[in-house]
Amino acid sequence: MVKLTIDGRELEFAAGTSLFEACRVARGEALPHFCYHPDLSVAGVCRLCQVEVEGMPKLTIACNTSVREGMVVHTRSERVRRAAQQILEMHLINHPVDCPICDQAGECGLQDQYMNYGLYESEVSISDKVNKAKVQVIGPRVVLDKERCVLCSRCVRFCDEVTRTGELGIFNRGDRAEIGVAPGRQLDNAYSLNTVDICPVGALTSLDFRFKKRVWLLRSTPSICHGCATGCNVRVDHEAGTVYRLKPRRNPAVNGSWMCDEGRDTYRELHAASRLSEPLLRRDGELRAATWPEAWAALAGAAGRELPPGAAVVSPRQSLEEIALFAHLAAALGVPAAAIGGGPREADRGEGDDLLRSADLAPNRAALGWLGLQEPAGADLAARVRAAKGAVLVYGADPAADAPGWREAVAGRTVIHLGTHRNATAEAADIVIPLSAWAERDGLFVNRQGRVQASRRAIARPGLAQEDWRFLADWLAAAGAAEVPASLPELRRWVAGRVTALAGVDLAVLPPEGLVPDAVAAGSGGES
Amino acid sequence: MNQDQYRILSKRFGRRDGHRLAAYEADGGYRALKRAVGQLGAAAVREEVKASGLRGRGGAGFPAGVKWGFVPQGAETVYFMVNADESEPGTFKDRYLLDYDPHAVIEGSAISSFAVGAKLCVIYIRGEFGWLVDRVQKAVDEAYAAGYLGPGALGGAYELEMIVHKGAGAYICGEETGLINSVTGLKGQPSIKPPFPAVSGFLGQPTIVNNVETVAAVPWILENGAAAYRAFGTEKSPGTKLFSVSGPVRRPGVHEIPLGLPFREFFTDWLGGMADGEELKAVIMGGSSVPVLTAAEAMETALDYESLAAAGTMLGSGGMIIIPQRCDMVELIQVLMHFYWDESCGQCTPCREGTGWLHRIVKRLRGGEGAPEDLALLEKVCDGMAGLTICPLADAAVMPMRSFLERFRPEFEALAAGRRETEPDSRWAREIRS
Repeated sequence: MVKLTIDGRELEFAAGTSLFEACRVARGEALPHFCYHPDLSVAGVCRLCQVEVEGMPKLTIACNTSVREGMVVHTRSERVRRAAQQILEMHLINHPVDCPICDQAGECGLQDQYMNYGLYESEVSISDKVNKAKVQVIGPRVVLDKERCVLCSRCVRFCDEVTRTGELGIFNRGDRAEIGVAPGRQLDNAYSLNTVDICPVGALTSLDFRFKKRVWLLRSTPSICHGCATGCNVRVDHEAGTVYRLKPRRNPAVNGSWMCDEGRDTYRELHAASRLSEPLLRRDGELRAATWPEAWAALAGAAGRELPPGAAVVSPRQSLEEIALFAHLAAALGVPAAAIGGGPREADRGEGDDLLRSADLAPNRAALGWLGLQEPAGADLAARVRAAKGAVLVYGADPAADAPGWREAVAGRTVIHLGTHRNATAEAADIVIPLSAWAERDGLFVNRQGRVQASRRAIARPGLAQEDWRFLADWLAAAGAAEVPASLPELRRWVAGRVTALAGVDLAVLPPEGLVPDAVAAGSGGES
Repeated sequence: MNQDQYRILSKRFGRRDGHRLAAYEADGGYRALKRAVGQLGAAAVREEVKASGLRGRGGAGFPAGVKWGFVPQGAETVYFMVNADESEPGTFKDRYLLDYDPHAVIEGSAISSFAVGAKLCVIYIRGEFGWLVDRVQKAVDEAYAAGYLGPGALGGAYELEMIVHKGAGAYICGEETGLINSVTGLKGQPSIKPPFPAVSGFLGQPTIVNNVETVAAVPWILENGAAAYRAFGTEKSPGTKLFSVSGPVRRPGVHEIPLGLPFREFFTDWLGGMADGEELKAVIMGGSSVPVLTAAEAMETALDYESLAAAGTMLGSGGMIIIPQRCDMVELIQVLMHFYWDESCGQCTPCREGTGWLHRIVKRLRGGEGAPEDLALLEKVCDGMAGLTICPLADAAVMPMRSFLERFRPEFEALAAGRRETEPDSRWAREIRS
């Protein structure tokens, strides 16, 4: 450990800690900066994070300095403040100051720093500014405005160091220097929108998001991405029940500061035209809207007519609590244990890569294992369902699309679909129950590392859609079960008690980086 | 007085055959290399150069032997690079060495490489010196053929590959980390320090970069000893130094002088004073980046690192610019500000934006559109640049700007008050005005 004094406070840090990070702790806020990023190499070019270190003649940039024993650092002295003001002024002399039409306004580093270090009296006439290209579409998702760029080089370093695709570079020199794509190339890697996130100004903006919503109107909910088994930590940005974008949330243990472009697209399914917002019942061969009392009557009737139901299939896209409760419900309804499971196994499979994208596109497949649920392959699943008798319960999954032979297997039987969208299974079902999409309710997910992370409700459910656990609990109660959780915390305690891996774990308080149960970290399985 | 007694580096300047191996060997060339490799060994060479007090001749004046000592003990791969990216306005002394005496540069580079344990030496020549690249390459080829370079050089006593690398035309590649990046194939711009190149430079390995004139002095030091070298110059500024002198003096060009020589003596005896009808107004002592001195200040100082520092300027690269009375100082600073604006690599904000801002203000003044506040603005912009960047290019622009303003303020004030500019009488000023 190294002891040093920052702004009069004596603090201790591990040797090798960046002075920038030490100052962040000491000050309770970061030093002004554009080019520094904790997950990229140090460029040291914006020159904003200069601090005074006693014994050194010049100011020094904190980002390229390591803490040293006995160092005495001043970050709020007049000299430091003056330097930041001067450098910020330099950043602005060729900036177009087109904030009213800039999509970054409201979350712009230049604006933020200006509130602290602005000089407020311009000494540069607008005609003197260097003009550069604006509104250049440099890839399928990203737009570049070269005039707004402060040349912090974060985007270049991201493409060099993280994706290692090297599409971007800084061309030309002096105040003619500008970001650009290499000739004949596009910024089209699978993580291209991270450049927009780390761009401190409005130089790189998202084609998808730009001009959709002023950012100060958005509210943010911390959550996790449901696009694959990695479980990147995200921020769901929404307003008035509509999600506008997903942004990565830093978690060094999972996704660093990044997420993939496909993951960002997953917000669109929340507002798709096929979203279910009311119960549907098949009448005269067609699915027609129904009320909840009608739906409950149909469920009771179907379950009564074909008692007990023969099979229950749940998707690994549902939360840990939902899967557990659904399996419990199926058992209470009399489904044989062997006929309760996930599947088909080949659903939700993608390419993956060695960075963040998992080839497993289901966010919670590990939970199936923890709960001891099998996941048969498609043909096997159809065969099992065919062999069983009675109604078929499908929760979240789409076996009609994913499991060969499914339609034949369920022919002539009542299919009850619990879900969020009118997928192929819903279209062929007899009873369709509208539940919550991933951003509409709280839930726990186990990623590919065996890490339990919380997904949080960001927006309201549409129409008559129900909260999943509440619907399942209601059905449990209707079926006369003894154990019916009365709240989500109670449900979590109940789940923790049924999973070996979670023995003794309090799911009510997850650490910020998520929780890898000791049993999982030690390599033993989590099945109950 | 015999000025030839100070010729250590400039012995062969002006000789038609001085660049050929035969002439160089006839003068005793490559004896020092043989002695260094055959008898002294690397440690003794380093000690001798350190004892000589030889200071880097590129501008910073850092002791060469000390710099060599920064290579970590036991480093396996070390690179040596010769900085021949001579691009500072007013400086053209390395060009003379490369032109008239390439073998001295090659021998000095070979000895220096041997001293720091490098097996690869790169001579980085500025792109505009195309004919010198050919000249030095031919000399390197001769040295290979004669067995001074290559895998089994000097009968297998040591090995050294020497590459002549041509720059692509950027002043900033004369900064050592910019030079290393350029050789690597990256954009020619300085890297952030630490790490310093002596610890992590070319390809992440320890790399020593020395100026052409620095390495060219090494063979003589080994042949004659550190004490003989110290017989020239002052205690803290030992040895001789090349000054490239431009401006209307009787004998402009490259002169080799013992450090510590009073400027007055250099001006009258070496340069022969001003040309007919000219009167001395100001002197830029060490290349365009150092603060300008008035004629009176210049006459009171001496040409060594310490005296010039005391006078408020720097010895720099020895690119001396003699400015006559008829010269418009604002025009001159406009030329310089254009240069630094053009050459800033653009990575650090204060330099990227500040050099352009200074240039625009000076240009505005010259165009008759200035205002009295512009002078304070110039000073303010300088304050926002000095000492705040990765490399010294911002300081290199600020030092002349500040000193011109301070010492020749009435000329700026007259323009700011609305006087029209004089007709530009230099080609450069005409070009940058358009």
